[in-house]
Amino acid sequence: MLWHIVGRELFQQLNSLRFLFALLLIIFLMILNAIGHIKQYKTRQIEYRQQVSTALERLEKNSDNLYNLVMRGPGGLNKQPSKLAFCAQGSEDYLPTSVLGWSAGWSRSSPTYKVSGLWRLMYDVSPPITGTDIFPTFLKIDWILIVSIVLSFLALVFAFDAISGEVERGTLRLTLSNAVARGTVLVGKFLSILMSLGVVLLIGILMNLLLLSGTLQLNGQEWGRIVGVSVVSLIYLSVFIALGLFVSSLANRSATSLVILLLLWVIWVLLIPATFGTILSGLNQPLSTQDYKAQRSSQRKEITERYEARGVYEHVPTRVRPPTDATVLWAEFLNEERRADFRLNKEFLAARTHQIQVAREFNRISPTAIVQYAVESLAGTGFQRHLDFLKNAERYADAFNDFLIAADRADPDSLHVPFVREGMSDKPVSFESIPKFQDSVRLGDAFKGALLDVMLLLLFFVVLFATAHVSFQRKEI
Amino acid sequence: MLWTLIRHELLMNLMTFRFLVAVIASMSLVLAGSIVLTDNYERRLASYNEGFQRHQEGNFSGKTYSSFRPSLDRAPNPLSLFNQGLDKRAKNSLQIRIGEVPFLWGDVSRNTGFSNPFRYLLADIDLVSIFQILFSLLALVFAYDAIAGDREDGTLRLILVNPVGRGLIVLAKYLGAMLCLTLPLLMSFLLTLLLQLQSNAIHYSADDFLRIGGIFLTTVIYTSTFYLIGLFISSVIHRTATSLIVSMFIWVVLTLLYPNVSLFLVNRFIDTEEKVRQADQAIDQILEQFHWAEVVPGDPFENPPLLKGSKSGGGSSSYTHLKKNIVFIPDAAEIHVPTVKAYFQELTSGRIRTANKVWQIRETTFSETYIYKSNIARNALRFSPAGLYHLSTEAWAGTGLARMQDFFKAGRQYRETILDYFYDKKAFSSRQWFASDKGAVRWDDAPRFSYQPPSVFEDASNRALRDLLLLFILNPMLLMMTFAVFSRQEV
Repeated sequence: MLWHIVGRELFQQLNSLRFLFALLLIIFLMILNAIGHIKQYKTRQIEYRQQVSTALERLEKNSDNLYNLVMRGPGGLNKQPSKLAFCAQGSEDYLPTSVLGWSAGWSRSSPTYKVSGLWRLMYDVSPPITGTDIFPTFLKIDWILIVSIVLSFLALVFAFDAISGEVERGTLRLTLSNAVARGTVLVGKFLSILMSLGVVLLIGILMNLLLLSGTLQLNGQEWGRIVGVSVVSLIYLSVFIALGLFVSSLANRSATSLVILLLLWVIWVLLIPATFGTILSGLNQPLSTQDYKAQRSSQRKEITERYEARGVYEHVPTRVRPPTDATVLWAEFLNEERRADFRLNKEFLAARTHQIQVAREFNRISPTAIVQYAVESLAGTGFQRHLDFLKNAERYADAFNDFLIAADRADPDSLHVPFVREGMSDKPVSFESIPKFQDSVRLGDAFKGALLDVMLLLLFFVVLFATAHVSFQRKEI
Repeated sequence: MLWTLIRHELLMNLMTFRFLVAVIASMSLVLAGSIVLTDNYERRLASYNEGFQRHQEGNFSGKTYSSFRPSLDRAPNPLSLFNQGLDKRAKNSLQIRIGEVPFLWGDVSRNTGFSNPFRYLLADIDLVSIFQILFSLLALVFAYDAIAGDREDGTLRLILVNPVGRGLIVLAKYLGAMLCLTLPLLMSFLLTLLLQLQSNAIHYSADDFLRIGGIFLTTVIYTSTFYLIGLFISSVIHRTATSLIVSMFIWVVLTLLYPNVSLFLVNRFIDTEEKVRQADQAIDQILEQFHWAEVVPGDPFENPPLLKGSKSGGGSSSYTHLKKNIVFIPDAAEIHVPTVKAYFQELTSGRIRTANKVWQIRETTFSETYIYKSNIARNALRFSPAGLYHLSTEAWAGTGLARMQDFFKAGRQYRETILDYFYDKKAFSSRQWFASDKGAVRWDDAPRFSYQPPSVFEDASNRALRDLLLLFILNPMLLMMTFAVFSRQEV
């Protein structure tokens, strides 16, 4: 019986004018997305390769002496662009594409000894907004926009008269005079709308991928991600279909139902994600950059004074074996300064990240924000991915320092007192043996990141569908 | 008779559920929006004030002429609460240097009041965007059944039994609904003004109030355009449900899809990178030539015997040695001072010539790339009422690209004034250019920078009124079309 209802409803939907409109609209947008993305993908790839090769050249140049690597570090660490940026482009433009991994830029020269800071990771890079920032703000045409705004709107347009329209025409009474449970009717209507939207989405996605497949060579993992994105989109659309059915069963006239739905849509989809999190994120402001800089320099001063009191500037590190006290003290000083500075830098990053995390938590009262975060996780773009990249960079920084110590151990002439120049090897290092930074996007991380959001979407759906069910059960026809 | 009809329509509309929704939705969104925006503006202003103070103290504290590198700041515009335009995103400070003409697309330095660069990830919505989305939707919701509904109910026939012209009915419906829509709009404006004026940071001048009045007028005309679009659809289509669906599709296309798609297309298909790269190459060439020429006379500071003194500051690159401030010149080195003076005069006039050459290339490149692209994008937006509304309010608020450029133009003029002042003082060939041993430079009579943004009338006549007029013309056109359709219809 259920499938009988679904079949009939589906037939009606597919024949309607709105289905045709929806299909044309989505195909148009998907083609636009593909055309726009091809070019962007190429430029971004070229840019990334250039940045990586510059960093490697730098590394190779520094590898003529181990201490050069200790002081100057591996150079810039670049974020690998995601192939699936066409799914979720929006926030990518506002995120930095690299972290700095080179000299920390302090040096001190006394008549007897010249010293400069060890390399450390620096996070405070401003976003790469370019000179072309001349337009009024606009939304990027990516899958997120197509699904979260256009298709959710279409879902409401498909669902608004599902019940109220039949009540108006009197056909619902006719249907219910057969031996059909009301629940079955509701589920049938829901499935038929979901299927017709699914058809629209599927055709759009196929067109899009067909155009893109020439440029992007997608592997199995990326296909998996695309399937994941499609499933998340369908769950998101189900939320709106359930909402549509609920309001449609409440309202007696279909026009009223549509009006209510549209206002809810404008508030829930367009306005809440743009205001709610932003308001609440204002409550906890991280340190301003100036204050951070002040804190940083005062910390450095404090450490320097402490070591000055221990007489660090009175003696000069030497290559005398066994290592003198001065050599060990200098090594301790340099290491502590770096560790403390990096810790501060990380705390500052954490405060900044926290502000955005809080805003994102609150934005999740709108399913539009949820679907955005989930699709971004799956596509390997956006904020969560950026945090993963930063973690990768940090892990690499540790590996790099471990490598330096190991390379120093291998040199019998060295004093093995890292990281002061006199205590370390000054021999060339084989470039091949240096670990290179390889940023990667892991599928596991992506699905884990999206899982919570998917659960939340399902929760929204279940609650709305249950409410729709109850209100339909109680409706007098 | 018209008045009776209007009153009837007004009462009919006021009593409805949708009017209630309109009031609640607009008030709550404007409330939330105003809080976010005011807070953000306060931060930006604080950050501007801090930078301004610092620069104010630093700008005229140099001891030598060559150390003069004042930084100028653009204050955040309180009207960016209404339409943020580029106010937040465009560069808001510039530095006057002898060797470079300042321009908008230089090294990015922005002062958004965001202490957090990730903050860009959170969407910001200005009041105009709220009105743009909400009131166009409300207008269509009020209009979709204005004629089709009466026809369905049969009340239309009843009304027409009376000796009333059909034109009069349409007019009454239009005026009644517009009164009804203007009410929540007016309340929203008053609410946001009330909230904004609570803040100590925001001070509006009479000029600004005129601008806000302009924005209000534009919003009313924009709402009326969408109401008339809805009325026209309602007169063409006989069933209310169909009329509503068609209205909604048109709404999505006009307010959401068309503006974004057109900007997307312009952004993708007008390629500026190639031209900018070529210009960069040409500029690099000019600079290289200059550096080569600079080496020829020889830097007197690099040749030790010429001038031995103690320096404060300094550096190694060829640009920074202009910042050298010599506080002491021994008598023995005094004979070299004329050589050094001549060297700097030669060098500085070379720098100014190079800067002018570079600027010429930049100016033409920008007008062929970024400005051209932005003009195309703006023209493309004009095909949608939402685009016209955005552009017109942007001009009223004074947050558009043109205004950003005005500030930089003022900065360039200031640089010219400073150069003239230096010429008058013969600063380039003076001892005080590089040394303060015989007294620091007195900046008392140096010209100060002031930037007067154009008045509301200039902005209105140059920028805002054209788009407002385009938007306005749509109204009588749509009204005529509705008349034409409605008066021929059988009821």
